[in-house]
Amino acid sequence: MKVFVGMSGGVDSSLTAALLKEQGHDVTGVYMKNWTEDLPGMRCPWADDLADAKRVAVQLGIDLKVYDFENEYKQKVVDYMVEEYKAGRTPNPDIMCNQEVKFKLFLEAALEDGAEMIATGHYARVEHGSGVSHESQTQVSSSREAESRNSLHSMELAALRQPPNGQEFRDSASGSVDGASAFSRATLLQAKDKNKDQTYFLYRVTGEALQKTFFPLGEFTKPEVREMAKERGLYTAGKKDSQGICFVGQIGVKDFLSQYVETVPGDVIDKQTGQKVGRHEGAIFYTVGKDMEKNEVYVTRDLNDDTLWKKQISLTSLHWINPPAAGQADNDVQVRVRHRAPLTPGKLTFCSRSDLEQGGGGGVGAVVELSESQRAITAGQSVVIYDGDVCLGGGIVA
Amino acid sequence: MSDEIYLDHAAATPLSDKVYAAMQPYFRDAFYNPSSPYAPAVQVRKEYETARVRLAARIGARPAEIIITAGATESINLALGDTGGHIVVSAIEHESVLAAAKKSECTLVPVSAEGRVSPGEVKKAIQPDTTLVSIALANGEIGTIQPLSDVAAVIREERARRLEDGNATPIYFHSDASQGAGLLDVHVARLGVDMLTLNAGKAYGPKQVGLLFVERSVRLNAQIVGGGQERGLRSGTENVAGTIGFATALELAERARKEESARLAGLRDYLENELVAAFPEAVVSGDHNHRLASHLHISFPGLDGERLVFLLENRGVLAATGSACAANKGTRSHVLETIGLAPEIADGSLRLSLGRLSSEENTKRAAKIIAEEVKNEYRRIG
Repeated sequence: MKVFVGMSGGVDSSLTAALLKEQGHDVTGVYMKNWTEDLPGMRCPWADDLADAKRVAVQLGIDLKVYDFENEYKQKVVDYMVEEYKAGRTPNPDIMCNQEVKFKLFLEAALEDGAEMIATGHYARVEHGSGVSHESQTQVSSSREAESRNSLHSMELAALRQPPNGQEFRDSASGSVDGASAFSRATLLQAKDKNKDQTYFLYRVTGEALQKTFFPLGEFTKPEVREMAKERGLYTAGKKDSQGICFVGQIGVKDFLSQYVETVPGDVIDKQTGQKVGRHEGAIFYTVGKDMEKNEVYVTRDLNDDTLWKKQISLTSLHWINPPAAGQADNDVQVRVRHRAPLTPGKLTFCSRSDLEQGGGGGVGAVVELSESQRAITAGQSVVIYDGDVCLGGGIVA
Repeated sequence: MSDEIYLDHAAATPLSDKVYAAMQPYFRDAFYNPSSPYAPAVQVRKEYETARVRLAARIGARPAEIIITAGATESINLALGDTGGHIVVSAIEHESVLAAAKKSECTLVPVSAEGRVSPGEVKKAIQPDTTLVSIALANGEIGTIQPLSDVAAVIREERARRLEDGNATPIYFHSDASQGAGLLDVHVARLGVDMLTLNAGKAYGPKQVGLLFVERSVRLNAQIVGGGQERGLRSGTENVAGTIGFATALELAERARKEESARLAGLRDYLENELVAAFPEAVVSGDHNHRLASHLHISFPGLDGERLVFLLENRGVLAATGSACAANKGTRSHVLETIGLAPEIADGSLRLSLGRLSSEENTKRAAKIIAEEVKNEYRRIG
C-alpha cells in the first residue's frame, strides 16, 4: 500500500517509516515544515530536523518530500494559542496541531499526492472500520476532498445517529458484530505503552482521518522503540525526544507569549487573608486562581481550596471519534484531564441533544461528573473521554 | 577513519602538525597576558608581535596594518561595519559580507553566469557617496576567482575623479580572501586592495583566528571596544596561540602554494572529467578559466544534493552541498540563484573541495563512489 509517513527527524517517526517499509508498504516520507519564529540573524532553525529526517530516508531508501504548512500552522495553531491565552484560558496547541495540520492538511496533501494511507509516530492504536469496502473507503476520501468541512460534519452526525448504542457501534467497527450500518469508522485505542500513550492529543482527529491512518508504534513501548531503532542502525536511534511545544522552542511559553501579548504586572493575593503578598508579571501566565479583569493572581496554603479541586467539569467544543452511548442520560466513562493523568471514572451528561449534535459550539455541551476531585482543572485544556482502551473523544474545559 | 575521503576543504581544514606544535607552548607554559608587565609576559608579547610581522610579510603588508580578529566573519564586520557611506558588493559574496553590507545603504553588483564580477558593473554601481567596495577574491561555493586588480583600477579612477570634483569622500576596496590562502596570490599590493580578510581555519590553521589587513590610510571604527588592543580596532586579550598558529599556517601554505595548486588542479580535473563523462547532463558551475584549483561545483539535475551528501557519508565520502536548505522556498543558495542556475539543477548540487587530505588514490576512489551513488539515485527516482 502507498503510505506517506510524517517524518519529523525524531526516533519515533524514523522507526515508523522503517517498520512500514519492512511490512512491504510503498513508503514515502514527508517532513512537515511548520511555523517557526524568525530569530534575527538566524536561518532555518528547522534545517537540522529536516536533515535528520532526510538521513533516515536515505538509509531506508525512500523518498522524502517537504510539505510547507508554515502559513496554515501559524494561523490555526500559533494564533489560536495566543488568542486563547489572551482570553485567560490555557490552550493545548499540540491538540490543535493534530486536528488542523497533521490529520487534516497533511492527510489531504498526501491523498492528493497519491497516498492511500498516512502514518505518524504517535503512541496510539487504531482499529480501522471494517464495515466499508475498499471502494466505498475511497469514496469517503474523495468526498472528503471535494466537500466542505460542514458537509463532512453532517456525515459524522449521520453516523452518530445510526447506532442506538455506542458499545454496539464500536463492536461493529471492530468487526465482531456484523455491521448493520452502512457507515463505519475507525476506533482510536490507547497505546500498549500506557506511560507514552498519546491519545489525549488525538481526540479531536476525525474518524475519517483515522480510517486513513496507521500508528505502528502503538504496539510497542518507548524502550522497545529505541531498541528497534538501534537494531536497525537508524541514525536517529539515540536522539533525544523533543520537549514541549515545538514552535516555542528554547525560549519557553512565557517569553514567547510576551512577544504577542501585552502583559501588565499585577498583585498576588493570599486568598485566605486577602492580603497582597507579592507581584506577578501578568495573569495570563497562570492557570487557575486568577481574575483576568482585576489582573490578580491568588495563592493559598490551603491545599484543599475549592479553586484547586474540581469534581464537575463543564465541557465545550465537543468532538467525538466514536460517540458515547448517545441514547442514555448518563454515561459511565473514564476521564483523562491532562496528558499522562490516570483515567478517572466519571459520568458524562450531555446538556441537550442539540448540543451533542452541534459539537457544543460556544456553549456548554456536556458535563462530566468525576468520581473524585482532580487538581487544577484549567479552562482551555482538554478533557478526554475513554471507554476502557477506546478514546471516544472529548471537549474543552469551559 | 582511515578510509574517510574528505572533500570539504573549503569548509574547514585540519591543523597541520607544525602548526599544532607551534601553538602548544602558549596554552599552558607561556599562558601570560601579553599586556602584563613582568618579563615572561613581555616575552609572550614579543612572540605575538613577531607573529604579526610574519603574517604581514606573507601578504606584503606592514605589521601595523594587520588587525588580528576571531576569524573572517569578524574581519568582515570590522571592514564593512561602519563606513558611513554607500557600499558596493557583488551579489555572490559570502553571507557575512552581504549581512554586514545591508546594515548600510548598499548595491549588489550582478555577476556573469560563470560567477565573474565585471569591473564595468562595479563602476556603474559606484555613487559619489560610495565609501567601500567589497569583492571576494574567490567564491567559496563555485570557486570563481574575481578580477580584483581590474576592480582596483576602477576604484583608482574613481578616486582621481573625486579629486577633480572636489569630493573628499574616501573610497576603499576590501576583499574577503578567505578561500584564497594557499591557493592564490594574496599579496595586497598586487591585488590592489585597501583591506583584506584572511582566515586561519581555511588554511590549515586554527579556527576562530583571522586577520584584517587595513592599509594605513584607511579610517575604521571599532566594532568591539574595550581594552584597546589591536590599535583600538579590536579589543580583547590577544589570542597568542591562535595567532602564532595562523602565522605558521600561512607561511607553510604560501611556501607550498604553487606546487599544491597544480597538484589539486590535476586531481580536480580528474574528478570533473570522470563525473561529467558518466553523467553528460551534469552541470559544472564556476568560470573554467578562473577557478580555484581545489574546487568542483557540480549539479545533477533532478537530484537532491542533501540526499547525495548523506549517501556519500554512508560510503565514507564527506562532501558539501551548496544549498543546505534546499527543497524550500527562499532558502536556496543565493550564489546559484544569482548565476541563474535553475532550481531543479541547483537542488542537485555538490561542492567538492580538495586539499591536503586529497591524494590520487582517494580522489579516484571518490570519483567511483560518487558516480555509483548518483547513478543509484537516478535509478531510484526513475
